[in-house]
Amino acid sequence: MNQPSAECMIEARGVQKWYPNGFHALRGVDLTVHRGEVVVVMGPSGSGKSTFIRTFNALEDFQQGSITVDGRALSNDLRDIDAIRREVGMVFQQFNLFPHLSVLENLTLAPIQVRKRPKAEVEEQAYALLERVGIREQADKYPGQLSGGQQQRVAIARSLCMEPRILLFDEPTSSLDPEMVREVLEVMRNLAADGMTMVVVTHEVGFAREVAHRVVLMAEGQVVEEADPATFFTNPSHERSRQFLAQIL
Amino acid sequence: MTLSLPQRLKRELAATPLDGAVSAVLIVAITAAAIGFLGWAFGRAQWLVIQANGTLLAVGRYPVEQQWRLWLLVGLLAAATGLGWGLLRGRRWPFNDRLASVLLVALGLWAPAALGLSLPLQVRWWAITALLLGLRWAFGRWGAAGLARLHPRVRRLLPLGFPLLYLIGLWLIAGGLGLGSVAPSEWGGLLLTLLMASLAMLLSFPLGVLLALGRRSELPLLRWGSVLYIEFIRGAPLITLLFLGQNILGFLLPGGLAPDRVWRAAAVLTLFCAAYLAEAVRSGLAAVPRGQVEAARSLGLSVPQTLGAVVLPQALRTALPTMVGQFISLLQDTTLLSLIGLLDLLGMARSVMANPAYLGKNAEVYLTLAVLFWCCCAALGLGSRALERRLDTTRPA
Ligand SMILES: Nc1ncnc2c1ncn2[C@@H]1O[C@H](COP(=O)(O)OP(=O)(O)OP(=O)(O)O)[C@@H](O)[C@H]1O
Ligand SMILES: [Mg+2]
Repeated sequence: MNQPSAECMIEARGVQKWYPNGFHALRGVDLTVHRGEVVVVMGPSGSGKSTFIRTFNALEDFQQGSITVDGRALSNDLRDIDAIRREVGMVFQQFNLFPHLSVLENLTLAPIQVRKRPKAEVEEQAYALLERVGIREQADKYPGQLSGGQQQRVAIARSLCMEPRILLFDEPTSSLDPEMVREVLEVMRNLAADGMTMVVVTHEVGFAREVAHRVVLMAEGQVVEEADPATFFTNPSHERSRQFLAQIL
Repeated sequence: MTLSLPQRLKRELAATPLDGAVSAVLIVAITAAAIGFLGWAFGRAQWLVIQANGTLLAVGRYPVEQQWRLWLLVGLLAAATGLGWGLLRGRRWPFNDRLASVLLVALGLWAPAALGLSLPLQVRWWAITALLLGLRWAFGRWGAAGLARLHPRVRRLLPLGFPLLYLIGLWLIAGGLGLGSVAPSEWGGLLLTLLMASLAMLLSFPLGVLLALGRRSELPLLRWGSVLYIEFIRGAPLITLLFLGQNILGFLLPGGLAPDRVWRAAAVLTLFCAAYLAEAVRSGLAAVPRGQVEAARSLGLSVPQTLGAVVLPQALRTALPTMVGQFISLLQDTTLLSLIGLLDLLGMARSVMANPAYLGKNAEVYLTLAVLFWCCCAALGLGSRALERRLDTTRPA
């Protein structure tokens, strides 16, 4: 397994969030993610996992505490937010591919428009990435013509095409048929082996055991337990973790 | 299982006794109506009124010695159509294209003769038809190769040819290229109808998109302004707005400065259509899933980039059928122009029917009008459906 370095990529301290309707979704969450580290976030539905990782690229705001991503503090300054988003990729449960663009255009849109890179160079890189996720031959198709597993692999390649320093995954395999889960996890496993910093919300125990450096359990808007996978799955220290594991194992 | 013809007929027309009775009544009624109509159209109807007034209905009182401008324009449009058609289809001649070509040839031969045009004018029609189909053939065959040889930068500018052609058309109609101008008050008939409708369509589209965006804006002033505008326009009948437009600008601007009545009416049509388009675009915008914006933003695209590259293309695609429906009603609504004294197709037709020489020929005139409008609306509908198919990215490859 690839060893993380000591450099901090994400540092969240005492993050609190209230939704506009007053719901207290995050109640003082701390988390540190090092460069090259794979952190898996687990927890029951509604515990605030999505809310939490979406604060890392400012898709959700927060009211108290601080988050530093790749050395930049998240503030309300829009220019800082755009700079952070360029460095943080996100893969969604529903893929969110752009249905009106071909697979290739999905990959090249942001590098061309945001990074202002020449089209030919970006396309070459896009083909290489599609090759890496195993669907180069689908480059000219549209997302609606692909299977769920293929779409999610395109989504991962799309994020990679921006050359992010951190990748966030929000239940990337939860809306896939079982036989497609494997092909997506395989891609993620390879990314981890290449040293990508990843925060992954998932219920895939096998993936967590094998790939994660750390597993974090969230419940009711708080981090309940944080441990290496071996300890987490066999000998958790909190009652809440044991209840959760009893449900999913 | 394949059924023989009698079996199929029985199943589709008379599966039950009641079905059979309904079918029989309908067949008798339709046949009777068709016989009656055809008997009138080819027997009792006197089409002289159309032949004698063909020019009036087509272009109104557009000065005869200036009509070469319109011929030139029709020629340009035919050329552009043939060119675009050829580039789109390439070497293939699918069934629809062959059918359309046959219809065009038939129309090019029959219409000028039926209208009783003089031989030189008939020849112009033939030439224009030949130009259209010839370019369709030539550009289908060699267009793609020629296009590939162009510099990519030039190629990207090509779509600008369409708005350019439109402006050239306006300029030609108004009297550019040559001495003397033709005032808008001399435009009439089908020319005026098409001009007003196309102008309003082109201008109301960007306005409608802006209004829809304004309505979803986070700036309260912009939002309320858009809502107020859209709801006001949609709450008022077009005819009152047209009258208002004729009067209000006269009050606001001193006599000489007020734009011509034709332009005023065009402005009102545009403002009217924009409000309805805004509603269509708004529903299109609402149909774009939130995840699309989140994905675009998390890739680092700015708000305007997200709008331009991700949200609007999808929203407009969704709104397209509604928007075209709106354009079709706009085309039909131009008939209201006759009520404010403009000689559009209907206005011209009414002035023809008012001529004592053609007393009692209303049916012939109205039928001609209906067919002309039907052709224009059908063309819009066909165009929109072709566009929808092209933009449909979910069909299997
Ligand atoms: N926009 C919102 N407004 C109000 N409450 C919200 C909103 N979005 C989420 N919540 C609430 O915040 C809580 C945390 O939601 P979140 O989506 O982060 O949970 P999750 O752990 O990702 O759950 P799941 O496993 O179902 O995805 C939930 O109780 C949810 O109902
Ligand atoms: Mg979630």
